[in-house]
Amino acid sequence: MEHHAITGIRHLTDHTFVIRFDRKGLVFRAGQHLLAGLENQNKFREYSIYSGENDPFLEILIREVAEGQVSPSLKSLQPGHHLIIDGPMGVFNLDPKTFLTDKICFVATGTGIAPFHSMVRSYPDLNYRMIHGVKYENEQYENVDYQSDRYISCISKDPSGNFHGRVTDYLRSNFPGTMMKYYLCGNFSMIREVFDILSEKGIPRTQIHTEVYF
Amino acid sequence: MKYHLITLGCQMNISDSERIKKVIETRMGYEWTDHEEEASLLGMVACSVRQKAIDKVYNKIHTWNRRKDRKNLITILSGCVLPADKEKFLKLFDIVFDISELNQLPEMISHYGVNTPLGVLSRESELFNSIHEFWHITPNYNSTFEAFVPIQNGCDKFCTFCAVPYTRGREVSRPSEEILEEVRSLMLRGYKSVTLLGQNVNSYGLDKKSQEIHFPELLERIGQIGDETGAGCWVYFTSPHPRDMTDEVIDVIARYRVLASQIHLPVQSGDEKMLIRMNRKHSLEKYMQIIQKIRRTLPEATIFTDIIVGFTGETDEQFENSRLLMEQVKFNMAYIAKYSQRPGAASSRWADDVPHEIKKERLEILSLELRKHTRIYNKGLIGKKLRILVTGKDRKPGYFTGYTEGRIIARFQSDNENLTGRFVDLEIISAAELSIEGKLIPSTENLLTDEANHFIQNIGLPA
Repeated sequence: MEHHAITGIRHLTDHTFVIRFDRKGLVFRAGQHLLAGLENQNKFREYSIYSGENDPFLEILIREVAEGQVSPSLKSLQPGHHLIIDGPMGVFNLDPKTFLTDKICFVATGTGIAPFHSMVRSYPDLNYRMIHGVKYENEQYENVDYQSDRYISCISKDPSGNFHGRVTDYLRSNFPGTMMKYYLCGNFSMIREVFDILSEKGIPRTQIHTEVYF
Repeated sequence: MKYHLITLGCQMNISDSERIKKVIETRMGYEWTDHEEEASLLGMVACSVRQKAIDKVYNKIHTWNRRKDRKNLITILSGCVLPADKEKFLKLFDIVFDISELNQLPEMISHYGVNTPLGVLSRESELFNSIHEFWHITPNYNSTFEAFVPIQNGCDKFCTFCAVPYTRGREVSRPSEEILEEVRSLMLRGYKSVTLLGQNVNSYGLDKKSQEIHFPELLERIGQIGDETGAGCWVYFTSPHPRDMTDEVIDVIARYRVLASQIHLPVQSGDEKMLIRMNRKHSLEKYMQIIQKIRRTLPEATIFTDIIVGFTGETDEQFENSRLLMEQVKFNMAYIAKYSQRPGAASSRWADDVPHEIKKERLEILSLELRKHTRIYNKGLIGKKLRILVTGKDRKPGYFTGYTEGRIIARFQSDNENLTGRFVDLEIISAAELSIEGKLIPSTENLLTDEANHFIQNIGLPA
């Protein structure tokens, strides 16, 4: 475990924020996660790395959980404070042999977009489509970081975005195709339903990669 | 001054306790006692895999603390302890230490004002800074014929039900040269069973990338040591993760006599979506491919597994898929556990929504399923001649107990008092659901003294 100095905080909504902290030479693959916690507390949470493999800093994207034990404290941090970091861990990665030629479909809910943000930032030439399910318009976290024709927001409560409804509704009527690799990240209900949709369409299990947040 | 140490949980804890005992005895001068009441140093090596396991620690420390009214006692705790429990245990135990801090234990105890028998002679301790120095301690092996050799510590998998990544930390592989030296030494000393240990034993070497050999090659080298020494020994490994299991591991096992034909391969669930929710990072298909590879390449191998029932959201259909998996694979043993929320694990923040009664019912169903197959398998062994490692006297008077290479429990009748720790050959005469019984086949082994047996091993004759 290492102490990393916080260099910046960006609040994306009232409840979601990005913490930037010094990298200290940490090497990772896009898609991996870190354990992050506060000094003098014995509680840690796993957060996907949000920044790119070549960025000179590290970032994590956090949604404050009401009455949570860690995220409210993280939200109160300021530049100059320190995070305790362990990692990186995880195998939710692009296929190192084929990722530059693969057609990739990222499906995320909420902050589940974090590992995909890292992948896109790390590999700008990636051939991807990003389907992002959120409740409100302001939860399209930093969507300017994606090419506009590749990012599809599915907004369930606001009448805005690219599609009004859930990602599963979008996929049923706009199926991306069988020659894609699918990466699913976020809430398990979405992952379970999307898994069924993909299976029905004949997508082999080996082409579906998942990371459950909750 | 006497000490007593209680070890809970897995073989890794047993292995760790062997090093703890070494430090307590050789560097602090304590003597072991089987009787807690005689001890002035009481310790536990804890297990946090389920709530029931850690509850044992709470129960015991309350008992010990009551005894402090009557006697000077020091209480110590190590092993797998979650951060939340550690905070509570710091108020209950005199000393709570991470296993990698073992070298500092004598100093910690002396700070309590307790002059250990060797306290005046001990030099200033060096600080541990890693698990590597812990591994350098030569353990006091609990047994003269069975040994556990840790090869890897920690876990990076973060399965959503599990707290081990939080208690054991990141995956670290022990240097292969140390492992091979320890295994060679054990074989030359006549050990009959060696188990390689790690939270993810078959991830060995992956943390070191190209600077260390990986698990298949480690097994290969151990197999070669077995051939060179002519050791009569069975080498096992636990626990592997299906994600890192390769065909190469199975092929290596098939090539070497000492590598036992027994595979422990935890599956946790037979349902694809449950595996996803658990973040196991492998498909059911991958698991079955491994099973099929084992069946093809090691047809005589026994297969053990771990299964959780009642994980968050497990439906009847998903549970049925676990039962179907057991029906299909026909495991020789399954460690079936009711799901229990572990603080720190991701699922601790999810609803534990399968009622206790349902978990209990599902556990019973899978236990019956297991026994249905083990009864048939074990009956199929009747009439066969099998080699058994004798582990001691059975509860039944006049009987001994042990296990086959595949770790099937076996019993036999004998009045020879010198069989513990030896290989014997049995003709199997009857079978129960989880054990077999045999008739001792007279052979040169059964008549030899230990000294002659060791000599024969050293000159290369089959053990």
